Amino acid sequence: MADNRETTEEKGEFSREAISHLDHLYRVARYLVEEPDEAHDVVQETYLRALDSYEQFRPGSNMKAWLSRILYNFFFDHYRQKKRWILIDDSSKDEEYSDYWEKVPTENPGPESHLLANELTTKVTDALRKIPQEFRSAIVMVDMGDFSYAEAAEILSCPVGTIRSRLSRGRRLLHKHLKDYIAFRKDRD
Amino acid sequence: MNCDEAQELITALVDQELRDPERSSLEVHLTECTRCRWAREEERALKQAIRRAGQGILMPDELRERILSNPLIFPAKSRPARRWRDYIWPMPHMLRPALTIALILAFTLPTLYWFKKRSEPIAFAALQTYDLFLRGELPVRRAENSNEIEAQLTSAVGGRFHPMGYDLTAMNLRPVAGFVREIDGRKVLVAIYQGQGGTLFCYTFSGSEKDAPPNAARFFDAAKKINFYAFSRDGVNAVFHREGEVICILASEMPMDELLALAKSKAKPS
Repeated sequence: MADNRETTEEKGEFSREAISHLDHLYRVARYLVEEPDEAHDVVQETYLRALDSYEQFRPGSNMKAWLSRILYNFFFDHYRQKKRWILIDDSSKDEEYSDYWEKVPTENPGPESHLLANELTTKVTDALRKIPQEFRSAIVMVDMGDFSYAEAAEILSCPVGTIRSRLSRGRRLLHKHLKDYIAFRKDRD
Repeated sequence: MNCDEAQELITALVDQELRDPERSSLEVHLTECTRCRWAREEERALKQAIRRAGQGILMPDELRERILSNPLIFPAKSRPARRWRDYIWPMPHMLRPALTIALILAFTLPTLYWFKKRSEPIAFAALQTYDLFLRGELPVRRAENSNEIEAQLTSAVGGRFHPMGYDLTAMNLRPVAGFVREIDGRKVLVAIYQGQGGTLFCYTFSGSEKDAPPNAARFFDAAKKINFYAFSRDGVNAVFHREGEVICILASEMPMDELLALAKSKAKPS
């Protein structure tokens, strides 16, 4: 009886701590699937799966990474097979390496690293949807989720070197779509 | 090292994931190559832009509330609500001395308990009174009407702030008692509502959002521009919000989604 109560309390404590990561899970889901309703389903299912297997979570370890792994596995198993991916702009693939260096701005564009704030989320979201999912997942985990390469590699089930490569290639593709919105000060050199 | 070889290393450098000897090699190259220095700054700006864009994406309240209303997360207690009269004089005259001693102990022990637990967040410490009340271990003074409760509580803090004074008759709840609890030198006003709708405690004290429990789930009400923090302890659900410099916590055994909806409907923008 006491054990049951203890288990219930532990599960309740776990579930409440997990709630603090819901925004992160939703953010990841929004960039993985096409429709907002699907993101809702992914987050809910992730949460229920986490509760079902909470005993596998090691207290003191990274709960955010653990939940992200559950989310990505669910997405990978159920959405990828159904091919309900976000559509990718295939035209960008051929140009991936061709003109990145040539298009680096040559004149001082103004204040350091500024973006038009009101358009930021929309532009970045649109640009992310135009790059291949493998690159997008790495960017979402590292740049939005603040995960290290090692953590992202564990979540996405790939080597650390692959994360680095996907980030590098993914950011170059993103840059092509966002170059009009991103600026930096060159006169620091 | 040429510029093609530097590309991927610049990514790792921007992410602070580059170690020697690659880092040293890249740094030598960067001192010699303006284009790669520009590329490094460009990638830093891009990373910052992606990060900011991510911060602008928050889970919709609708989904959060759907998850929160799941009984697996905030299980409801099956304990029936009791009325305040049941605790005040439940015994015949001959047993009242024993009850008096019990009340003294009931008052003393929780005070000692709070003293020991004073490092606990004030929101959690306040919530303990709910359970003590339902167990009959918390002596409270009955009041004839809500005005009397409000006057007593306001007077206890020299008029610096007031209890929320919510009208909850639509939920079959009416104010039946009030008391003041001092926690870590801060006075917490407690108004108790009871009725067919069960029992609800309304805590009011001077504070800030830093007083919300660290693991509470936060909900932002865009219309009222108020953060609501949901938390639970021992089957008692609670919703914390701030109005100016005053904190209000509603605590009850009602389902969390209903309690959150109640708090949202009653909260007034600062």
